[in-house]
Amino acid sequence: MLRLSLLAIVIIVVWIEILPYLIPKKPKNFYSDDDLREIALSRGMHPIPKDYAKFLQLLDSKENPITKEKVALGKQLFFDTLLSKDNTISCASCHMLGKNPHNKNQFLDDISHPQEKTSCMICHIKDESGTDRLSTAIGVEGAIAPNHLNTPTILNSALAKYRMWDGSAKTSMDVIAPMIHDKYKMNLSSKELQEKLKKNIYYVQEFKKVFADGITFKNVEKAIDTYQKTLLTRSAYDRFLEGDNSAMSAEAKRGFKDFIQLGCKGCHTGITVGGQTIQKFPVRNYNHIIDVTGIFSREYIGRDVAAFNFNFKQYRRYPFENKGGYLGKDNKQLFRVPILRNVTKTSPYFHNGAVFDLREAIHIMGKYQLSMELTEIQIDEIVAFLKSLEGNVVEYKELK
Amino acid sequence: MKIFFINLDIFFMFISGILLMNYFAIPWSYFRTIEFLHIFGSIAIMILFILPFLYTHMYESMLRMKHQSASGLLFGLILLLILISGTYLFLVGNRGGDIFGVLSYYIHLYGSFALVLLLGIHLKKHFFSRFAVVTISLFILFLPSNSYAKQEKLVNIAFTDGAKYHHSVDWTNSVTCKACHPKIFKQWADSNHRHLADSNPYYMVLENLAGMDKGKEFRQWCMGCHNPSAVSMHQERTTHFMQDNIMPEPLFTKGSQNLINEYKKNPNRLEQGVSCIACHRIVKAKPIGNSSYTLNLSKRKKYFYEDSHTDMKVWISQKLINANPQVHKNEYMQPLYKKSEYCASCHNEFLPHSGKKVVSTYEQWKKSPYNDPKHPNEHKDCIDCHMTNLRNGKFSPLQGHSTLGGKNKKDIKVHYFAGGNYFLSGLKNTENESQSLQLLKTSAKLDVTIDKNILYVGVKNVGAGHKLPTGAADFRELWLDITVKDSNEKIVFSSGKLNKGGDIQKNSVIFNKVFGDKDGKPVGLFFWRYVKLLKDTRIPAGKRVVEKIPLQKDVQYPLHVNIKLNFRIYPQWVTNIVKVAYPQLPNPPVITIEHLEKSFE
Repeated sequence: MLRLSLLAIVIIVVWIEILPYLIPKKPKNFYSDDDLREIALSRGMHPIPKDYAKFLQLLDSKENPITKEKVALGKQLFFDTLLSKDNTISCASCHMLGKNPHNKNQFLDDISHPQEKTSCMICHIKDESGTDRLSTAIGVEGAIAPNHLNTPTILNSALAKYRMWDGSAKTSMDVIAPMIHDKYKMNLSSKELQEKLKKNIYYVQEFKKVFADGITFKNVEKAIDTYQKTLLTRSAYDRFLEGDNSAMSAEAKRGFKDFIQLGCKGCHTGITVGGQTIQKFPVRNYNHIIDVTGIFSREYIGRDVAAFNFNFKQYRRYPFENKGGYLGKDNKQLFRVPILRNVTKTSPYFHNGAVFDLREAIHIMGKYQLSMELTEIQIDEIVAFLKSLEGNVVEYKELK
Repeated sequence: MKIFFINLDIFFMFISGILLMNYFAIPWSYFRTIEFLHIFGSIAIMILFILPFLYTHMYESMLRMKHQSASGLLFGLILLLILISGTYLFLVGNRGGDIFGVLSYYIHLYGSFALVLLLGIHLKKHFFSRFAVVTISLFILFLPSNSYAKQEKLVNIAFTDGAKYHHSVDWTNSVTCKACHPKIFKQWADSNHRHLADSNPYYMVLENLAGMDKGKEFRQWCMGCHNPSAVSMHQERTTHFMQDNIMPEPLFTKGSQNLINEYKKNPNRLEQGVSCIACHRIVKAKPIGNSSYTLNLSKRKKYFYEDSHTDMKVWISQKLINANPQVHKNEYMQPLYKKSEYCASCHNEFLPHSGKKVVSTYEQWKKSPYNDPKHPNEHKDCIDCHMTNLRNGKFSPLQGHSTLGGKNKKDIKVHYFAGGNYFLSGLKNTENESQSLQLLKTSAKLDVTIDKNILYVGVKNVGAGHKLPTGAADFRELWLDITVKDSNEKIVFSSGKLNKGGDIQKNSVIFNKVFGDKDGKPVGLFFWRYVKLLKDTRIPAGKRVVEKIPLQKDVQYPLHVNIKLNFRIYPQWVTNIVKVAYPQLPNPPVITIEHLEKSFE
């Protein structure tokens, strides 16, 4: 009896180990470049406009029309530490950007003339990422957000449907007031801000030029909102969607195909490649002892084969450290889908910034959202695709 | 029937063990599987089948039936010996350090032949009828299984096709090596090779600057030697660790504790910098420079579970290596590693766009008297100075074990990588600092004379097999600090002092080279803009240079001359720039290599 059971165990283990190599791999669909573009466009993945007219069509509104002067004022406010209680923090402290995004010598300028920049900023302003590159945001007087939330990028966020991790802000204007009021961020009331600005002759004059009613909190919001609408980035991916087949490398195209076929684009979609829906995370939770979708070796097996693994780990809500204990919208682990444009520049990842490595983040997304162990090569390709989403802020001539 | 199964079991253990002999030289993919099966199969068979059987068999035949069988008794005795030696080999291993390991190995090997012979004698009656059955079953048991070979081939395709894909799993983390080579790990952990990339503030700033100046692809030039693992992963830049909102202190943490903590949390995350296998998996190296080496990562012979991260599997893999470590040694140690050509693949740098030589340490050595292969006693390779232990200012080879339980070696090649950079390693570990300082102090000698009111200071490069200083010599400062006092203790001549900002005074005697750009201006930090050589006052190996310093005419003798040969790894202006990004960085101390005081009548 003992002998037989031993034999049975050996046979089962051997079978599981060799099974992946016996099953023939399904031939995958290989799209041509034009097919790939057609599929992407038909599913709402559009390029960021390069001409001003289309830009206005997308983002202009009657309540707050975009004008050159208003954008310039918004930019002034965005980089001004006056907007915080102790005059230490500006919007750009967390949404790190250079004043001139096309300055190629930004790093040299910063390292030779630091001028109140923190040591992190010295190297990371030149990334033009629109985030602080920290796990969690630091506000006035070193305050840390209570839920240990990570700063999402401001780039392209004007085109998203939802903002903030729980998707609470529906329009780009809605975001500004909470950032200024929140005591963990800038901690300044509307009244205090108005008084501060009114003491500043420059702002009194500028506001008069742009708005009929001068300095009001509403006008501050409007000015910053128009500036943030101009923070759009164009990348190789946009050029590819506009018809330039050589814009993306072959590896990136395979990654794009994976992105569509494996199901990533189900949530990370739209012109911003994310930010359009609110979704549950993690969809699947491997907290039972026998993990049927895991695999002994994750090197060669894609979605085609499943096998089991044992999981003796403690119950975990997230597939990473639950810093801050945030539970998303309505405490149901519902999160706004992050924008993937420029994702290669915005580590660390996830709502509490617990994952520092993009490859690790992709692996987690594959396993917990799509229930598949992505192979190392698939991850390579997806990384190459995500790199092609990385771009610089578009400079519209009309706003210069 | 029961006896038949027992025979089968014994033959399984015997054949699987014999196949592991060097004589058969079976392919590695089979070897590692068979080794695993032999050890763990034998344990299972022994406990589940053979020992219970032997107990009942001996009880029945010896005590109840009172049989007297000499072959049976002898068989039992030898089985006991094999059992003990096998257990020793498994738990302690044959690592070469103790005689019991070697003894166990031979007992285990030759004992098994005796055992099979005795089994034959013991079973004389039934031997031949069973022999055929046993061989046939064994043949079936060992039919080459294709599944394994297929896997290895897949790996080969993925990695040998121009080595397109490498992943962090291919790069065994250095923390894994620590378990059996703790001393070497400790030496390396605070050395400059460990801290070449993400934990080196000077490097990080310069890589960023190079990326800014020449485009992001240019970072690969730096990373080829500084960060080979990131290059193999097609990473665009060197990245540093983060712990929550804080960058873990890369400057003062001793023993690479950051790396160890990171490995515990994320064992598959890529280790940056020059790790153990970045050097110990080089299979070919050309003495050209700019990372002219060939790495073989994926085609390694690995023992079972060598890449695992769970405690149990790691334990098993260590036992498997210890039991028969020859393959492990062959995989990670090659004769090439002792030659200077090997080091030259990185310690020679030239600009990719113009071919201009930036660092030519190897070429300097090649022309030096230390390169003398015809006279082995005179010949000195890189490792004879930079990887030999120093004590009390002299080379005194470290004796002992480099591996836990390993052979007693007369000259352990230490991995402090002592050299010019005493500063960054010294912030972490005083032992690493002291090794570098001792080496620096063996490098030069001073002499001084005065003739007709002219001070002659001679500096001779007596210890270095390359120019003094070498490396990125724009950033190395070797200079003379001279003070001459007359009979009234009044200073009549002074040079080479530091000013308030920490820079060396103007008009001091500095031994270095200065690069100029295409307009003939010094390049500063941008050493990749080098076109013209503006100055080269470095001292070649074995050469003496003399500095003439005219004194005032009316000085009053006797004169007291005080000369120091000073060295600083980075000039103050470079440190000042790096400090903007790394405010916690202290200033590098000034080191006195040689000090001379003399009075002249």
